[in-house]
Amino acid sequence: MLSEEKIKIMTNLAMFEKHEGKRIFPINRYFKSDYVSSKLFRSFFSYTFSFLSCLLLWGLYYMERWLNTMDLKSLTGTGIRIGIIYAVGLAVYLGISIYIYMKRYEYASRGMKVYLAKLKRLDKRYDGNTRSIKRIKGGRTS
Amino acid sequence: MIGLLVLRERLKEFYARYGIYITPVIKFIFSFLAFSLMNKNIGFMTKLTEPLIPLVLALVCSFLPYGAISFVAASFMLAHLSGISLEVTLVMAVFILVVGLLYYGFQPGDSYLLVLTPVFFLLKIPYAIPLIVGLSGGIVSVIPVGCGVFIYFTLLYVKQNAGVLTNDLSSDEMQKFMQLMKSLLANKLMLIMVLAFVLALLIVVIIKGLSMDYSWVVAIIAGTIAQLSVIFIGDITADVSVSVLGLFGGVLVSLILAGIYTFFVFTVDYTRTEYVQFEDDDYYYYVKAVPKLTVSTPDVKVQKINARKLQRPQR
Repeated sequence: MLSEEKIKIMTNLAMFEKHEGKRIFPINRYFKSDYVSSKLFRSFFSYTFSFLSCLLLWGLYYMERWLNTMDLKSLTGTGIRIGIIYAVGLAVYLGISIYIYMKRYEYASRGMKVYLAKLKRLDKRYDGNTRSIKRIKGGRTS
Repeated sequence: MIGLLVLRERLKEFYARYGIYITPVIKFIFSFLAFSLMNKNIGFMTKLTEPLIPLVLALVCSFLPYGAISFVAASFMLAHLSGISLEVTLVMAVFILVVGLLYYGFQPGDSYLLVLTPVFFLLKIPYAIPLIVGLSGGIVSVIPVGCGVFIYFTLLYVKQNAGVLTNDLSSDEMQKFMQLMKSLLANKLMLIMVLAFVLALLIVVIIKGLSMDYSWVVAIIAGTIAQLSVIFIGDITADVSVSVLGLFGGVLVSLILAGIYTFFVFTVDYTRTEYVQFEDDDYYYYVKAVPKLTVSTPDVKVQKINARKLQRPQR
């Protein structure tokens, strides 16, 4: 026989999975540190690649001036400045990445708790059909 | 007002029933508009300007997610740009790559704003973007909106200087590239527009979240005033020319659009606001509850009742 209550809970679960599933399940497969560090690894490469692309444009823009005043000292100075800009930018970007991915992991953990609670509720309905609810000392049911 | 509310409820019902068809149609219109406007304004690659190509691409895009549509639109734009100048294509490709890697690496899900902002500029109603995005999204949306403004002004520059940038001219490639970079970075109107949009968006987001009556309406008005102020100040100090008639026309239409958006998303009745106060073990709660303004759609059924013809016994 159809159990309207079970159908309601299952529909609710399915909706939750559909809307939140993508933001919860792939993240919860990892420990927090593993998840955040894997994302940081990706962020590092994204930033480095973006920086190199911008450097290419910048290099093309100043190429004529460079070729006119080719000087080892000024080249070294420029190289150091580029290095500093890269390092500062990388630190800022990785800081933002850590913040965002930590938040995402916490969101996923909370979502997982809600999902498990919903599953438990459904599971109880199944228990209720097969087992008789025993009352133990203190008024709690097992 | 009641009539409008009934219309809103009807539209909601309509969307709930036919949402599966409406979403692809909206995506189709969105992408068709983007491709056609690109063809019209920067149609430098003649092979892509055939009227059938935007149609087919838009049909394909109507079944893709917005991220993929933005990717297709970016490729389409780069293809057109490569038809006129490799330098512009390089600059644009690097820009899109950097934004894609650094911002869209976080998958914020608002890549459509990169396409929508230039489209609204071409439709002469760009001032609606910070208002509607501010009402619907968060502060982070300033990044795609700002990038959208940059894309529009780059394309505008290319359109206006097509003769100078064209590949056929035998001028020095390096010189052309330097000229392009200089013009793009020193485009005062672009900087003013970016500033106006960012400021308006921030103001709308902040005011929208305040716990005061009519916060959405106040946010729209304050955002518009902020945009106009920045543009006027820029007009005076940086000596950029903005068409006043176009500006006011665009602002007026933008205000109407933002008003329509508010009506569909946030219609509440402030006259029936309830203030309640309670506490639990950890907190005191001061709650302001504003009821939504809703009406139930009248379910009119016309039933014809025809009186049966009585057959009288003939005498």
